[in-house]
Amino acid sequence: MSKIEAKADVTGSVWKIVAAVGAPLEAGGVIMILESMKMEIPVLAEDGGTLLELTVAEGDAVSEGQVVAVLEG
Amino acid sequence: MSADPTQPGAATASPSAVTALDGQGERDAGLAELGFRRAQAEQLGGEAAVARHHEQGRLTIRERIAGLVDSGSFQEVGKLTGQGRYEGDMLVGVTPAPYVMGLASIGNRPVAIGGEDFTVRGGTSWSGDRKKGGQGGFVEDLAHQYRLPLVNLIDGAGGSVTSINRRGHSVFPGVHGFERSVQLMGEVPVVCAVLGTAAGGPAGRAILSHWSVMVKNTSQVFAAGPPVVERSLGQKVTKEELGGHAIAADVSGTIDNVANDEKHCFELIQRYLSYMPQNVWELPPVVQCDDRVDRCEDALARIVPESRRTPYDMKRLVRMVADRDSVFEIQPSFGKAVITFLARMNGKVVGIVANNPMIYGGAIDVRAARKQTHFVELCDCFHIPLIFFVDVPGFMVGKDAEAAATLREGMRSVYVGLQATVPIYTVVIRKCYGMAGMGTTDKNGLDLKIAWPSAEWGSLPIEGGVAAAFRKDIASAADPRAREREIEADLRSLASPYRTAEAFGVEEIIDPRETRPYLCRFIDAAQGRLQTTLGPKPKFGVRP
Repeated sequence: MSKIEAKADVTGSVWKIVAAVGAPLEAGGVIMILESMKMEIPVLAEDGGTLLELTVAEGDAVSEGQVVAVLEG
Repeated sequence: MSADPTQPGAATASPSAVTALDGQGERDAGLAELGFRRAQAEQLGGEAAVARHHEQGRLTIRERIAGLVDSGSFQEVGKLTGQGRYEGDMLVGVTPAPYVMGLASIGNRPVAIGGEDFTVRGGTSWSGDRKKGGQGGFVEDLAHQYRLPLVNLIDGAGGSVTSINRRGHSVFPGVHGFERSVQLMGEVPVVCAVLGTAAGGPAGRAILSHWSVMVKNTSQVFAAGPPVVERSLGQKVTKEELGGHAIAADVSGTIDNVANDEKHCFELIQRYLSYMPQNVWELPPVVQCDDRVDRCEDALARIVPESRRTPYDMKRLVRMVADRDSVFEIQPSFGKAVITFLARMNGKVVGIVANNPMIYGGAIDVRAARKQTHFVELCDCFHIPLIFFVDVPGFMVGKDAEAAATLREGMRSVYVGLQATVPIYTVVIRKCYGMAGMGTTDKNGLDLKIAWPSAEWGSLPIEGGVAAAFRKDIASAADPRAREREIEADLRSLASPYRTAEAFGVEEIIDPRETRPYLCRFIDAAQGRLQTTLGPKPKFGVRP
């Protein structure tokens, strides 16, 4: 088991948190949705895992490459 | 009794064997010496140096060549080069030149291949009567004269200030220049693999390639390494922080692809070359296609979400259209707003440029533009038709984007697209707006643009343009926000792609499932055009 950081691919804001802390996520599962360039961009748990921590809240501004969640998988 | 070629002195040893063959002594001694010298070359920098190299998780240059090329196909050239050590007249050993090269084959096609031997003086440059490789040299002459792909396995530190002692003078930059290396860029595929720490000349050489690859954790590339950076700027950085894959491939795009280890690196090189022709006077190899041309994937009809604000998986879309398992992504970790694939359609090589709605809605930023520019030039150079899968809202906007010269880099990608003479196919999946949209079509050629029913286009997206174009109208309305939405709705009703198709402003609207057969038909038909327009492509003018 190792910790995996999920990062924002884009600069924008957190529109909606989809997954709850403690929830198991499949590979490709959606953690949250960011809003950027008038698009709703999902942040995915690429390899799946358990969501340990959310480091941002809805409405927060995020920048490209920022860690927005931590998973264990 | 025969001479043991691995033992020092073997070249002149074994007088009993010589005298036994009456009258043939000198000839046999000569063969024995050859055997000894060859064995010395095989030992590279010696057991201790090779062991140290292995401990760092790196292969020797001979292991690298053997691991990459077709089994047993390496015909070395210049095996005897190096520095002989003599005791009186007797040869006692040879330190090989720190570069190994020759002719080999990859995928049953000949290539020129060479690389530094890090176990000999860290692979620093060597001065014989003729250069073997690295920058210019025999291996590059071989690629040029015989019109063969060139594979550079880079693991050298380049020049060393110690050479000033040896020469008694300082060399002018470019005494071993990049002239041949530059010439090759318009003639044959050039692949550079960075397999250690490359600084200076070898780092520069890595960039002078059509495609480059580095290995995670064991290779770094930079103009100058940590000691020079600390001396010049006072910055303390590790070589991994300065030029590891996380910077050189992911952030700067200096190197195209990243391999997990050296074996994986060789697989990537083999794969890349499988899409390339031998040179610009030939077409890429066509393979037997076992994937049906008329395969129509139902999932294509539903892949674009109903909501224009929701992105989708463009890589999955492309994979459903191209020949099964034929896609090879170039620069997967850089400029991710654009996806670039080498792929096959009915066995013929194509270059695919696809916008990625997952990254800034597919807006072209400076990195994506640079990636597109290089890829379009690569395909044009080697007569590989291009397919654009378009979902682009325009160039990236904002202060950062302007400061990064997105406009200039974006227009450069449009410029090279318009200069390209290979057939270009445009498939509009969703958005196709503005100058970035212009960069996806072939206005100088057939200009074949096909679109899915989900397509929309224009100079700029309606929601962005209404506020500016109808400013007075909106401001004077009782409810300005409602008026803005009303105008947007009116304009959107006129924006149906079918209205543009009525005017033949787009050549066809197709069912998404028909994308593969439609494209295969045209790409098959374009082969005659491709076969009759071979050769180098001079490029005139000044790129913006």
